[in-house]
Amino acid sequence: MQDEFLQLKEVRKSYVGVYALKGVDFGIRHAEIHCLVGENGSGKSTLIKIISGVLQPDSGEIHIEGRKMDHMAAAASLARGIHVIYQDLSLFPNLTVAENIAISELQERGNVFIDWDLIHRIARSAMDRIKVDMDLDIPVGELPVGRQQLVAISRALTTDLKLLILDEPTASLTAHDIDHLLKVVQDLQSNGIAVLFVSHKLNEVFEVAERITVLRDGENVGTLPRQELTNDRLISLMTGRTLNETRFRFSADRTKFLLEVRALSKKNNFEDISFTLSPGEIVGITGVIGSGRTELAMALFGIDPADGGEILIDGSPVRIASVQDAVHAGIAYVPENRLTQGVIMKQPVGDNLVAAILQKLVDRFGLINSKRRREQAERWIKALDIKVGDQDVAVQTLSGGNQQRVVIAKWLAAGPRILILDGPTVGIDIMAKSAIHGIIRELAAEGLGVLLISDEISEVVNNCNRILIMRTGKIRAEVGTDGASSEEVQKLVERS
Amino acid sequence: MFILIGIVVLMSVLNPQRFPTLGNMISMSYQLPIIAFLSIGMMVSMLGGGINLAIISTTNFTGIVTVLLLRAIAGEGAAEANAATALLAMAGGLAAALLIGALMGWLIAYVEVPAILATLGVMTLLDGVNVVITKGYTLSGFPVFLLAIGNGTVLGVPIPFLLLIGVCLVLGLLLSRTVFGVSLYLMGSNPIAAKFSNINVRSILVREYILSSSFAAITSFVMMGQLNSVKANYAESYLLVAVLACFLGGVDPFGGAGKLSGMILSIVILQLISTGVNLLRMDPFFIQAMWGFIIILVVGANFSRTRLRERKRLREIRAARSP
Amino acid sequence: MLKKLLRQNETYLGVLIVCLCIAISIANPSFLSFENIAGFLKSYSMVGIMAVGTLFVLILGGTPDVSFTAIAQVVEYAVVVMTIAWGGGIFLALLAAALIGALMGLANGYIIHYFRVPTIIVTIATFNIYFGLLYVITRGKLINNIPQQLKDFGNFLILPTQSKIGGTYGLSLHPIIWLGSLLLGWFILRKTFLGRSVFAMGGNETAAERVGIRTRRVRVFVFAFVGFLAGIAAVVHVSIVQSVVPNIIVGKELEVIAAVVIGGASVFGGKGSVTGTFLGVVLFAILNNGLTLLSISSYWYDVAIGVVITAAITISAYQQLRQSRRRVNVRIEA
Repeated sequence: MQDEFLQLKEVRKSYVGVYALKGVDFGIRHAEIHCLVGENGSGKSTLIKIISGVLQPDSGEIHIEGRKMDHMAAAASLARGIHVIYQDLSLFPNLTVAENIAISELQERGNVFIDWDLIHRIARSAMDRIKVDMDLDIPVGELPVGRQQLVAISRALTTDLKLLILDEPTASLTAHDIDHLLKVVQDLQSNGIAVLFVSHKLNEVFEVAERITVLRDGENVGTLPRQELTNDRLISLMTGRTLNETRFRFSADRTKFLLEVRALSKKNNFEDISFTLSPGEIVGITGVIGSGRTELAMALFGIDPADGGEILIDGSPVRIASVQDAVHAGIAYVPENRLTQGVIMKQPVGDNLVAAILQKLVDRFGLINSKRRREQAERWIKALDIKVGDQDVAVQTLSGGNQQRVVIAKWLAAGPRILILDGPTVGIDIMAKSAIHGIIRELAAEGLGVLLISDEISEVVNNCNRILIMRTGKIRAEVGTDGASSEEVQKLVERS
Repeated sequence: MFILIGIVVLMSVLNPQRFPTLGNMISMSYQLPIIAFLSIGMMVSMLGGGINLAIISTTNFTGIVTVLLLRAIAGEGAAEANAATALLAMAGGLAAALLIGALMGWLIAYVEVPAILATLGVMTLLDGVNVVITKGYTLSGFPVFLLAIGNGTVLGVPIPFLLLIGVCLVLGLLLSRTVFGVSLYLMGSNPIAAKFSNINVRSILVREYILSSSFAAITSFVMMGQLNSVKANYAESYLLVAVLACFLGGVDPFGGAGKLSGMILSIVILQLISTGVNLLRMDPFFIQAMWGFIIILVVGANFSRTRLRERKRLREIRAARSP
Repeated sequence: MLKKLLRQNETYLGVLIVCLCIAISIANPSFLSFENIAGFLKSYSMVGIMAVGTLFVLILGGTPDVSFTAIAQVVEYAVVVMTIAWGGGIFLALLAAALIGALMGLANGYIIHYFRVPTIIVTIATFNIYFGLLYVITRGKLINNIPQQLKDFGNFLILPTQSKIGGTYGLSLHPIIWLGSLLLGWFILRKTFLGRSVFAMGGNETAAERVGIRTRRVRVFVFAFVGFLAGIAAVVHVSIVQSVVPNIIVGKELEVIAAVVIGGASVFGGKGSVTGTFLGVVLFAILNNGLTLLSISSYWYDVAIGVVITAAITISAYQQLRQSRRRVNVRIEA
């Protein structure tokens, strides 16, 4: 196996009674682009931590360049050219681009004094290797995420890099950034550097991977060349099941408008937005980050109100200047960023569930009725099938899918008529995704109007009856999904 | 809980004549409320993820305003004023405190000044104003009614103590059973998600600091009653004790956690240590140094407690995830 | 270039100081005299030196250190007693002061790092320990007869000039030492890897660890540096006041911290500059001096400071707010 740069044999690892990896064989060839896919809990992050030396396996072997590594610690892994870029990028927002790139090498060299010229040279040469050009003296915190990522990659290049591991790299990138990143990955390959992509965005995996390894429940269920895999086969490998997603069909009346938006505008956010939403519809809004779609949602929900235009509910204009106004008008919003905007991690599930309806739990003395509070929480746990032992545990103990159910339940408790969902299934396992889609369809069937914002084309095509395509702040096109395929819509998005 | 018993035992052993006596219990229950009100007021501000550095200054300010009003209304006969006059002056003092709270709340909620800075600024400002008004002098001569609040008893139980119990009951209810209270905890944990969850974060913040300042006012009244005087910089050292009491009582400085029961326990423990150590007639400065060591010990204990808690959380997560 | 200048906090501070100077000197022309300026620089040297240490703590991140005044107090006593007992010149005194201070700061650093507790809590504790023990040992005794070497150091004047009312004035050594500490601080922050590590840790401590920075060393250094500077400030102070009073330095913590914050250091860490710190202290010095020259009672000093602090943080927070509102989220195309 001389062709393999990295090889893991029968690696096992367990924590506190849970088997994270159960005898995994895994290999990466020199200068290959390899993707690692798997659901949450499949062992992906444990595998990465073992490869990077942060964790030691309980048993099994690690070979690098044919040499067996004993008790490989993080420093040893780095020394052998293995570098991980986590989702948080490990950058210093208050330091300049040049400093961020050069800092690893400076630490390595151990010089006491700073030679600013040296820093600039190190940074330049790293950026040149991936044909990136940036102003070296800007604080990294002022850069958009896409550029920040390039800074992180440049830093990795200051070492003798042999394997670059990217953990969910495209999560917050615009389409342009993603394209650029993929080009950079290919540049790295031509530099003799192998890249391990950990991602759950299957369409990107297919675009760039040469080989794909699928982990499920701590086992390697297959390492296959890209050509041998289809989307369905991949999904079935990842989940152990087959997925049958049917299309959403809308049949009710489209002449009554629950929500009507006319020429809604907000400076530097979006312009001239007009559309309608009828009860029972699921209308999709798609467009990459930077298209204004989340900003539109924020305006409808009162977080960042619009400057101009009109919003009509049931035909009458309403003024939405605060979240309270929006809720009063019957609008609910399930935010894009579950962790920071959706749930309150350290607080109990029960409290999270009733957070939006506290006023309604008050009895005649002005106090919250404890019994009613607990009953409400229980009711929604059952209604949305939230898997939790009891309502007093902290939300952070729940899985991503369950956390998302908590967010949705919280808003359903408020009895909205219009539900806006922003990226509701991001980072959620495939089966759980499907379950949430089911919930959304049920809600539509009950007469709610749903706005589904997502950048996953297949998600909107399958679950919406109409799609609004946004780009750079405006609605560019409207598409009915009846009879349209994902590929057709994808092309429309690209062309708009 | 065990720490509490342990300390009581320790102090009794060290001080067999004076500590475990009824007289001592009573004297402690006079002293306890002042630091208790301040600590609880501080806790209220920390629950929301902030801090109220100006609480002591607000206390002194309340006292000064109350005295000025008293003199303005009753003139020379301030010390003989009746309950109604006293109450009127106190109402004015309370209003002053609430206004300060509203100011801080506004700065933090609407101008988005970090709490530590906003309250630092207000603290410095109030300290200055207090000194300017009093010119450094002590003001005294208070009516009986006020003195009773500080020194009186009802059925043998000191009034300040009763006041403390009453206030705790009300606050406990406020924190756990009102929209404000529940919202405060949620907001303290994650103000962004709270805003997204239909909680009016700004309104909660302002009310939070008004509430915190109301405790400063209560402290002021009890202090005035006990000491029969008001000065620009009383109780300066209590600020750090209040912060310590919160920390010891389990209040998370980042917001969202902290129970009144924990606070009471920590305050009682601190009071017991304080009195017990005082009775030993140790050098007061040695006591001060000793407090420093105690803090470090507490810090170390908290550290290991947190580590254990984290391991428990990890187990919780595993348990919740398994089918 | 101009745009960059306008975005800096220090620029506004500088403008404010200039305006204040103009206002005060209109009311009392003696403000701008050499004698006066040398005077207030001298009296604020101690605060200025300690502010450099506090700057490091704020950049490192987290809550501020409040024990440095206690450290200075202890060092003051220790050094005077030592010099009385064993003699030795000013250099020895400074050296001893710096060393003792650094050791006390070192203790802070280790405890804070090991227990992972907010700095403010640990330093409240060490403040109480240092100050309490100092009183226990010294019984609050004042020392009025400080060694001649210290007195001479304090009285040494550069450019001695005869004043009209008899008596000499000139630039004393204290502002020079202050300047030295500023330069040292600047050099470390800008020109050494250690200094950049402080910024790095303030920006993202986990990333700093990942990159290989020895966070314990950096943290311990910062607190030892605070102690080091506190020690030097103590010698400066005792040579100005020419006596040792046991509780005169403590109480200045908030003023020092406020000066550093007004100078642009962020309470969240990762940001701050020596220039800003210098300007912050100068602002307070001028305020104090101005109030004295205008014969305003010293009681108003606290009020003035309170107003300045509150106004400064309000303005800066408001600016941040406007900046985030104005940010371009989406580039709208036709």
